[in-house]
Amino acid sequence: MTATLASLCSVLLGAQETHAAPAGAGPVVAHDIPAAITAPELSWAGWIIWLPLLSSIACALCAAFRVKNKLPAFVTVLSFAAAFGVTFWLHRIVDPAQPVVVPLLHWMDFAWGDGNWHAFGAHFSLYVDELTLFWMLFVTGLGTLIALYASEYMESDVGKGYSRFFFGVSIFIVAMAALVMSDNLVMLYLGWEGVGLASYLLIGYYYTRPSAVAAAKKAFIMNRVGDLGLAIGIFLIWTNYGTVEYDGLFRAIEAAGNPAGGWDASLIPFCLMLGAFGKSAQIPLYVWLPDAMEGPTPVSALIHAATMVTAGVYLIARMFPLFLLHPDALAAVAWIGGLTALLAATIGMAQYDIKRIFAYSTVSQLGYMFLGLGVGTAYGACYHTFTHAFFKALLFLTAGAVMHGFAGQLDLRRLSGLRRVPGFALVSWTMLVGCLWLSAFPFSAGFFSKDTILAAAMFDPHHAQPALAWMGLATAGLTAYYTFRVWFRVCAGPVAFVPGDELHGADGHGRGAPSASASHGNDHGSFHPHAPRLAINGVLLVLAIGAVLAGLPTYLVLSGQTKENWVESMMAHSSAALGAQPADSHEHPHLIGMDGHTAMFVLSSVVGLAGIAIAWVLHLGNRRLADRLRGAMLARRWLRWLPTAMEHKWYVDELYHACFRLPMWVGGHLLHFFDKHFIDGLLVNGIGRVPSFLGRLFQPLYNGALQGYAATMAGAVALILAWVVWKWIVGGGA
Amino acid sequence: MTIPHMLLLLPMLGMVAIIAAPEKQAKWISFGASSIVFLLSVVWAIQFPEWRSGRFWPEESGAGVMTRFGVSLELGVDSVSMMLVLLTTFLTPLSILGSFSSITTREREFYGWFLVLLSAMQLAFMSRDAILFYVGYEFTLAPMFFLISIWGGPERRPAGIKFFLFTFLGSVITLAAIVYVAVQAYGATGVWSFRIPDLVAFCNNPEFGLSHSQSTWVFGALMAGFAVKTPFFPVHTWLPLAHDQAPTAGSVILAGTLLKLGTYGVYRIALPMAPDGAVALCTFFAVLSVMAIINMALVCWVQKDVKKLIAYSSVAHMGFAMLGLFSFNPIGVEGSVMYMVNHGLSTGALFLCVGMIYERYHSKDMEEIGGLAKRMPIWAVFMVFFTLSSVGLPGLNGFVGEFLCLFGAYTASHDAATGYPGVLGPWFALIAAVGLILGAMYLLIMLGKVVWGPLREPEAHGHEPVKDLGFREIAILAPLALACLWIGLQPSPMLRAIVPSAKIVIAEYPAAVERYHAERNAAPVVETLTSAEAPSPGAARPGADSEAQP
Repeated sequence: MTATLASLCSVLLGAQETHAAPAGAGPVVAHDIPAAITAPELSWAGWIIWLPLLSSIACALCAAFRVKNKLPAFVTVLSFAAAFGVTFWLHRIVDPAQPVVVPLLHWMDFAWGDGNWHAFGAHFSLYVDELTLFWMLFVTGLGTLIALYASEYMESDVGKGYSRFFFGVSIFIVAMAALVMSDNLVMLYLGWEGVGLASYLLIGYYYTRPSAVAAAKKAFIMNRVGDLGLAIGIFLIWTNYGTVEYDGLFRAIEAAGNPAGGWDASLIPFCLMLGAFGKSAQIPLYVWLPDAMEGPTPVSALIHAATMVTAGVYLIARMFPLFLLHPDALAAVAWIGGLTALLAATIGMAQYDIKRIFAYSTVSQLGYMFLGLGVGTAYGACYHTFTHAFFKALLFLTAGAVMHGFAGQLDLRRLSGLRRVPGFALVSWTMLVGCLWLSAFPFSAGFFSKDTILAAAMFDPHHAQPALAWMGLATAGLTAYYTFRVWFRVCAGPVAFVPGDELHGADGHGRGAPSASASHGNDHGSFHPHAPRLAINGVLLVLAIGAVLAGLPTYLVLSGQTKENWVESMMAHSSAALGAQPADSHEHPHLIGMDGHTAMFVLSSVVGLAGIAIAWVLHLGNRRLADRLRGAMLARRWLRWLPTAMEHKWYVDELYHACFRLPMWVGGHLLHFFDKHFIDGLLVNGIGRVPSFLGRLFQPLYNGALQGYAATMAGAVALILAWVVWKWIVGGGA
Repeated sequence: MTIPHMLLLLPMLGMVAIIAAPEKQAKWISFGASSIVFLLSVVWAIQFPEWRSGRFWPEESGAGVMTRFGVSLELGVDSVSMMLVLLTTFLTPLSILGSFSSITTREREFYGWFLVLLSAMQLAFMSRDAILFYVGYEFTLAPMFFLISIWGGPERRPAGIKFFLFTFLGSVITLAAIVYVAVQAYGATGVWSFRIPDLVAFCNNPEFGLSHSQSTWVFGALMAGFAVKTPFFPVHTWLPLAHDQAPTAGSVILAGTLLKLGTYGVYRIALPMAPDGAVALCTFFAVLSVMAIINMALVCWVQKDVKKLIAYSSVAHMGFAMLGLFSFNPIGVEGSVMYMVNHGLSTGALFLCVGMIYERYHSKDMEEIGGLAKRMPIWAVFMVFFTLSSVGLPGLNGFVGEFLCLFGAYTASHDAATGYPGVLGPWFALIAAVGLILGAMYLLIMLGKVVWGPLREPEAHGHEPVKDLGFREIAILAPLALACLWIGLQPSPMLRAIVPSAKIVIAEYPAAVERYHAERNAAPVVETLTSAEAPSPGAARPGADSEAQP
């Protein structure tokens, strides 16, 4: 067994060595990013953006004319599918080794002189290389599937918010395409804030619900904090390299060598990192993502699991040459990623809302991706992004199907044995696939991608962080536990459920409104779960197959069918490839008496299976044991803080409230008071009163009595006389 | 009779027609006249040949007004003035259209004053003579004073008086500075002239121009009026009150164009006339700009009244525009001009939106009104759109100006590679950039209360449910929305048009900044030198000194 594993591993990981840059000490400089050529003839690639844009306009028109059928969904699905087709075709015909710049439209440009640093230009142009296409393939592909799913999921809103929903989804794909395909950082910023806008609109889709409004606001503002970092990063890049276009930037980095730029150049990766952490929900800006689950479930699947939140990973992968110049920055990325993975996993263990558990698992898995970037394997990070996109979208969509069927019920204590409920067998089994993949069950796609990251963390010759690798292994165990906690609770065991408090299937309407639950109440007798139909089941099936196939690149290499892992070869020609370092062939890493990579395989398998086993014992074999365990922990004073803090998400929201929101709120009131009573009240009105005060001072002189006037007159005459005399003396003297 | 003269006279003719016609026709005459003015200005903009040159057009000198002092009615615009003229003529008919249902008393006077206001604003933007600029600048006060104190809210009297006195006091000091410069120029050249180019040329003359301290005083005095008008941080307190009490159309014009008179004054008069003074006082004003951005954002956060919130946000936003101007490089100045136009569009539109709510509910208190998306979906779409434009979402207009202002301040360090060294630098941009977060915060909180959430309506607004926007109201907001979108997606024509004008405005600045830094670095040395050598008050201008030295 170990021998086969070892051979599999060597093939798998050997693939990394085939294309990698020659071994050398120190970070690799961007010498192998080919210069881009401009290809206006490829301007049809712009349809990847124009098609969703047209669909968003169509949806807006549908909303304006109050269309009362599924036309918006139809248009959206069609346009996304066409965009996917265009992406795929582009992938087929573009030379992988040659990045291409496709100019589309002018945007912002002006010049005040000649040469570098005397002009500023950012256009709507596309930078097409394999990294771009890799991202766009799964964005448009998953976008199509999830829009199809939503066409059924949102059907109770037809004629109400249906058009608005698909407008938001279309705008999201437009912005995401702009973000991923742009050839400069300012257009990336446009997409970056654009996806934030789409996220804001869609989280707040059920806008009559205060919690949804608050979550939407929180997401936008938290992202703005990150955007600030990105904006400053763009300023820094321009002041240091004189351009914001990728191609020019890579050339400038190449020309400047290492280390590049002035003192502030070393801040660039940290600023960009802040932007990435905001968008991809990492410490310290992760708290918006769990709240974002207020949005409709397809939105959670598309935006808050599969695509938008990976934008941070994309940004760092795209800017990898810059990060490689600053090993400290890479280490920071790795540590933030590793810590976020652990923190989110601990919170996820103690939540009861299925969507929230999946949300925390997303934060945690994103942490793994950043860990991968930080230890130099952009390939591992991108591959994990890819596999994660499938299985996490799948998990969210199954959660959505449960929600749709059980009137919004998401509490895993109130659902059980769904696989035996009529109509929910497919949901349960596809959820099992998602859970297995998320918990990195041996030889699943999630297993391979996660293992690439952990192996790099353990053994990478330049960027290894063994401590983080061990932490990542422990987190993998926690992941397996909380994932299967959900599945064993919800899908396995005896059939028992309490429906949620919503009248119709789709989430949100009237949540918290007592009238909505009146008709259903908790009356089991009259409640019939609303089984998903063709669109939902079909999409679940396709996604499950996709999740299985996501491991295909690795399976094929393992079974000797192909030499090259296509995901890896896609990365190989992009900026993300630079991190792939050759493993030093002379000293093969060893761990616990085995070949290092085999050891990692074995370790993560054991840890994952252990997590699943514990979940089985506590949540299927003997569910009361779990409650008793929790009770026992709560009863002991020295242990009580642990479950409490985990259930309260380590009190991070409260901490932020106390540290930022409250002081600012108080500051606002103080400043308003200062503005109103000091600046305006005392200074402005005070000065305004000076004339009337002076008037009152001299008033006694003008009281109508003759003496007063006489005195004034006399005084004035005396003054004038004095002045004349003075002038005469001065004049005479001179 | 050329187009600029017609742009000034047509509103006046319209006013005469309003006086002559029956009261019911007043609004239509006023709307018609301002629309014709808008169309004329568009024609003029199409004819305008100097979009890429920075020159003024038409070039011929105008009719003498006070020939003895060289005051002449010389009208001419460069690309930046042209944009502001277009902004004015674009916003005026829309705000007149927006007043159709809300102004029900003394209509004739209201619409008459509005046309006078239009004329005065255009005079200020088109005049090339400092005195006539000042006349237009001050003459906007009278109509606005009446608009606020007759058709305003319950506290309209104090608001109107404060608005008038505050801005008047500031601009008297500005006038004093202009006259001072003209007198100095007369003393040096023997010719009376108030033409802005002549005054600027005099001030920057290395031989007999303003000395360093003169320049500082002139800049400070010029800023006294412009800062109040802009409004700048500690002298802004008239604005929230005036906006709060003004009728909707008044607020739109106040925020949309009157405030721009302040920044335009800085751009056209203060910056070119007194480079040394501007550089010397730059840090002071930049700190105040940053304070405006941060302080006012926090103050916005605790407002309960939507209109006051937007008014305070104007102060914060104009802080960005000022910061851009004080970066003294093309990026920042460019951003600042963009900001002027964009702030006019999006804040004007926000005031219109709030006015539509006030008309329906007679309240703008966020505690009373909420969740209007349920009741008025079309209005909600516009409100969200303009708020996002105000937040600075890329792809809409607000982003371009905000991004470039910050970018300009960031690159305005003394060793900038842009060819335009500055006095500011990364720190100013970093702190001001926090305003991006705070701006998103208070505007989204406002949206969250007014647009989203459960529906809340005031008790006493009547029995019938209010109606969504009608055709007229959509026709007001839609052009603004299109303009916002268009500028956001295609700012390049504007950006390229501003560059040459901006380059002329800041032409003297690289040298002035060099002098400033040289002086600061060599301060102790210079002191010993001057004490050792005989002081020569004649050659007080430091530029002459430094240029004389090899």
